[in-house]
Amino acid sequence: MKKLYFVMAALIVASLVLAACGGGAASGGDAIKVGEVTDLGGIDDKSFNANGWAGAQKAAEELGVEAKYLESTQQSDYAKNIQQFLDEDTNLIVTVGFLLGVDTATAAKANPETHFAIVDYAYPDCFDPAEEGKSCGSTTELPNVLGLTFQIDQAGFLAGYAAAGSTQTGKVATFGGINIPPVNAFMIGYEKGVMYYNEENGTAVEVLGWNTEANDGSFTGNFDSLDDGRSFAESFVQEGADIIMPVAGPVGLGSAAYCQESGACKIIGVDVDWTVSSPEYTDVILTSVLKNINVAVYDAIKAEVDGTFAGGIYVGTLANGGVGLSDVAGASDELKAGLDAVKQGIIDGTIATK
Amino acid sequence: MTNVLELRGITKRFPGVLANDKVDITLREGKILALLGENGAGKSTLMNILYGLYKPDEGQIFVRGQAVDILGPNDAIAQGIGMVHQHFMLVPVMTVTENVMLGIEPVKNGVFLDKEKVSNRIREISDQYGLEVDPNAYIRDLPVGIQQRVEIIKVLYRQADILILDEPTAVLTPQEVDGLFKIIDTLIKSGKSLIFITHKLKEVLAVADDITVLRLGKTVGSIDPKEATTDTLATMMVGRDVNLVVEKSPAKPGEPVLEVNDLFVRDERQQTTVQGISFEVRKGEVLGIAGVQGNGQTELVYALTGLLPLDTGTIQLTGKPLSHNSPREILERGVAHIPEDRQRHGLILSFPIHDNMVLCTYYKKPFANGISMQEKAIFSKSEELVKQYDVRTPNIYVNAGTLSGGNQQKVIIAREFSRPIELLIASQPTRGLDVGSIEYIHSQIIKKRDEGSGVLLVSSELDEILALSDRIAVMYKGQIMAVVDAASATKEQLGLLMAGVHPSESKNKK
Amino acid sequence: MKNTDTPEKKETKKITFPQEWLVPVLAVVTGLIVGAIVILVSGENPFVAYGALFEGSFGNPLDYVEGFKSFFTTGDTQLLLRAIYPFTESLVTATPYIFAGLSVALGFRCGLFNIGAEGQFFVGALTSAYIGYSLTGLPTIIHLPLAILGGALGGAIWGMIPGYLKARFGAHEVVNTIMMNWIAFRLSDWLLNGPMKSSGFRPVTPNVEVTAELPRFFPEPLRFNLGFFLALLFAYLVYWFLFKTTLGFEIRSVGANPDAAKYAGMNIIRNFVLVMFLAGGLAGLAGSAQVLGVDHWVGQGFSAGYGFDAIAIALLGKSHPAGVVLSALLFGFLRSGATDMQSIARIPIDIISIIQGVVIVFIAAPDIIRWLYRIRVKKAEDTVLTRGWGK
Repeated sequence: MKKLYFVMAALIVASLVLAACGGGAASGGDAIKVGEVTDLGGIDDKSFNANGWAGAQKAAEELGVEAKYLESTQQSDYAKNIQQFLDEDTNLIVTVGFLLGVDTATAAKANPETHFAIVDYAYPDCFDPAEEGKSCGSTTELPNVLGLTFQIDQAGFLAGYAAAGSTQTGKVATFGGINIPPVNAFMIGYEKGVMYYNEENGTAVEVLGWNTEANDGSFTGNFDSLDDGRSFAESFVQEGADIIMPVAGPVGLGSAAYCQESGACKIIGVDVDWTVSSPEYTDVILTSVLKNINVAVYDAIKAEVDGTFAGGIYVGTLANGGVGLSDVAGASDELKAGLDAVKQGIIDGTIATK
Repeated sequence: MTNVLELRGITKRFPGVLANDKVDITLREGKILALLGENGAGKSTLMNILYGLYKPDEGQIFVRGQAVDILGPNDAIAQGIGMVHQHFMLVPVMTVTENVMLGIEPVKNGVFLDKEKVSNRIREISDQYGLEVDPNAYIRDLPVGIQQRVEIIKVLYRQADILILDEPTAVLTPQEVDGLFKIIDTLIKSGKSLIFITHKLKEVLAVADDITVLRLGKTVGSIDPKEATTDTLATMMVGRDVNLVVEKSPAKPGEPVLEVNDLFVRDERQQTTVQGISFEVRKGEVLGIAGVQGNGQTELVYALTGLLPLDTGTIQLTGKPLSHNSPREILERGVAHIPEDRQRHGLILSFPIHDNMVLCTYYKKPFANGISMQEKAIFSKSEELVKQYDVRTPNIYVNAGTLSGGNQQKVIIAREFSRPIELLIASQPTRGLDVGSIEYIHSQIIKKRDEGSGVLLVSSELDEILALSDRIAVMYKGQIMAVVDAASATKEQLGLLMAGVHPSESKNKK
Repeated sequence: MKNTDTPEKKETKKITFPQEWLVPVLAVVTGLIVGAIVILVSGENPFVAYGALFEGSFGNPLDYVEGFKSFFTTGDTQLLLRAIYPFTESLVTATPYIFAGLSVALGFRCGLFNIGAEGQFFVGALTSAYIGYSLTGLPTIIHLPLAILGGALGGAIWGMIPGYLKARFGAHEVVNTIMMNWIAFRLSDWLLNGPMKSSGFRPVTPNVEVTAELPRFFPEPLRFNLGFFLALLFAYLVYWFLFKTTLGFEIRSVGANPDAAKYAGMNIIRNFVLVMFLAGGLAGLAGSAQVLGVDHWVGQGFSAGYGFDAIAIALLGKSHPAGVVLSALLFGFLRSGATDMQSIARIPIDIISIIQGVVIVFIAAPDIIRWLYRIRVKKAEDTVLTRGWGK
């Protein structure tokens, strides 16, 4: 036993010495430092966080920046992780997701020299009766924060068009996690896209689960219940739909599983290409609505490296590649041509997606 | 005749204790050696050494004349030594066959368990020794006596010819004991040798060929059963003269303290096990309840102490009925209860002695003031009780689980007697205890009687009933067969009643 | 009385203490060693990793020196605050662990397995948040205690429901507390998207009023607050309650041997309900301290599994309040230090979960530790943690 204590004591002393020396060594070099703070999904969520990190890694390879990430496992980690990067004199801190909205703004105001980019959020975000620094981040635009937003309705529009052109039953469906702008933007574009297809082709494809006029539709109320995804898909199929776009994170995987088992429906993935993130469901994935966070993050880092970083709002569009639609499985040449034309129309501004 | 087993000069030290001090024992082939000693005399240590669970500090073991080192149970089994533990090592939800094959599972075709082979062998063993065990029965469905036979089969299946039975009768009813003795007889006739560990003197005289007595870790001596009497054995065990007969004056019965009227009780499995019982216990007398274990005595006591609800019937304490028959109410009305299962009901083994001493009075002054417990008062009372009742313990702060059975029982008695009581309900108060403790507990019960308390004594040991009671009620199948005067009662008469035969009927048969 | 010289004899009682704690301590050491092996296998240097872990949880010794130097020479506190930041963050992280660990430990003491601390945590947090933001214009002296009490009461009611179901219908608390967790999760989803949603689209509550915040001791970004001391106070209260009161004596008796407790006239059912009420209250306080002291708002995914880690903490702390505080501190330091380990040594935060997991395995199977370190068992007098399914 005595030997054991001795070994333990020696280990502790060794750790202490290394701790004392380690701090300085790690923060050497003149490279631009970029840090990503994830939300609770973690770095390998195959979604926002992973996608953002992919952009940062690409920047590290091509632009020589030093990129790091810190995973948040709980709400109180947001501020702590941002603080950690501040302590390390990070040049650009990328925060992922609207839940970091207040903490990012607070840190940005306290550290005007540091640049921030926040995914899927933008300032000002305070609207009456919100109180700055509490329920929202800032009443004004912040000069050192770039909000990375996405005009996802453009991609959703394409998805709706593709769905209408692929349906066998004449009914397509969508549902969301909760009815908030980042979610329902997909659905608004989707419905528009279907309508546009109907106008162009004289069809009468119906959309289940969303109605822009009423600003309401089908929502699971959460972003984690795969069971909900399954039961929503099942009821849509019973109502006659054969294509479903679930805008609720992993909930959609439940829908995909149902479609795979029943063979009665196809899924439109969201945020990332689901044939890549969930290859096991490739056979039931019609297409995916892409929110190319990696592109946005890379562009933000590039601006930082080039010295052109400016606060404000980055808007990902079809034009700049910030949003997009992945290849549509089994699309006819006619549909492909139609999609290309629509895309061009949206980029040109001749087709409205909202 | 050869000696199959010899232990010479075995010494085993534990920190602060000399558990075995140069112990010698010899087992002759085909004979029964009784190893006698009080709890804590070192019997269990010795047997654990023999079974390879402990390594002796000194001494040597000889099996059939060969010096052997036994380093673990597997070595012991290889030497043909098998042990039947006092606490059975059986898995209740498995069958007899599965229990027997545990650890040495034979397989067929490489992977499948060969249960059939085992159960056939069990049947053979069972027939050969008259064990009457069904290999396919589940352990949980078997009575204790049969479970013990399963343990014996486990040992025989592993081809042991030296069997060690550790306190085999402690958990058995008189009938089951008779059955066990028959089995032992068959075993000996087929050439097995046996070590029989016990502290029950009469059993020793009934079965043993040789007797070795241990005391305080030392061999006190060996004696031929033909020359021994219970008195000489008791003296050897305890180291002084022991008074096996309880001295008591005739009872002076007073007012009734407990009146039971037409009581029906269902047990935990909802079987009505007490079926219409009426009796009374008076101040200053001991009413003994005799009967073979399992005839409703346990449930009767549970109902009287509030541990089981009454189905119908009434209970009156000191002339007043109980309002809601809860343990707390009954306690507060002056009933002391020495429970049948002291480790289940009587003590919290993981609590220190001082907490066990106030288990029923912790909420009362001076042990509590409001909700705040008064440690000083608890400690001083516990110290006092430990001294007064001669509980052998290093201090009052050790856990009750570390005490020997006798001392655990003394803690219960000290606690129950430390508050003013009208009625003492003592259920199997000396089960599993050594002679010295039995003597002490018996004297304490009589002392309570003489102080004017009523005593209800429930015991399956007829000797104990006869020694302590003033009147005896015999229970059979949930009813009282008869209440007889202890002074005129005989064992034969009680034995018949316990078997459900009315004396009048038996006379008619004559 | 002459035979009551207790002080002297009490010492013999205390001698057994270290032996009892040897297994948990060695389990932690073994957990760290296994963690080091995993780090090594994944191609990193465990010394650097643990150095970073240490620095992240206690702070860098050199920073302390610099901090004090600058404080005493210039009176500037900034460097000093920066030096103590990691240490205070660890205490902040440990705070909900202490409360939740006490909750589970209290249940264990009564033979109940409270898996519902997570749900009780949520309900406590939501209740405190609601009281915190909906009432305005109250002075701190009223608002803060009200918000804390509300959180405790919310959790307590959430805990009492399974307690009552067990007492009344014999429904096993493990099943029911898990069910109550799910109800709490879904309830919070609904509340955060509906009645309790702040303005804007984000599914979060508004921030609590300043008058409901647990006071912080240092300026931003240090979040060290009164909650930690509240947690210590409650650890003492639980200790006092369990070991110095008749109610605690009953609870421990019911937990250690329900048959004997019944024999002694204790009301087992009442104790079950009482303990689940109090355990729920403690878990609720964990949520309350977190929302009022650290976050000031509740969003989806508010808890990082405090209620589940609490089970490990209670086991590691042998269900003793002092042990719970120590193991909660350990978890707090590990979790908090992991940020630096992630950043400096680039070790994924999951390594902490591995260490915790290994520790729990060894605590649950103490024989492995005894075998590993050749510890002789004196007399196995194991405390009963929970009753089986049958009772």
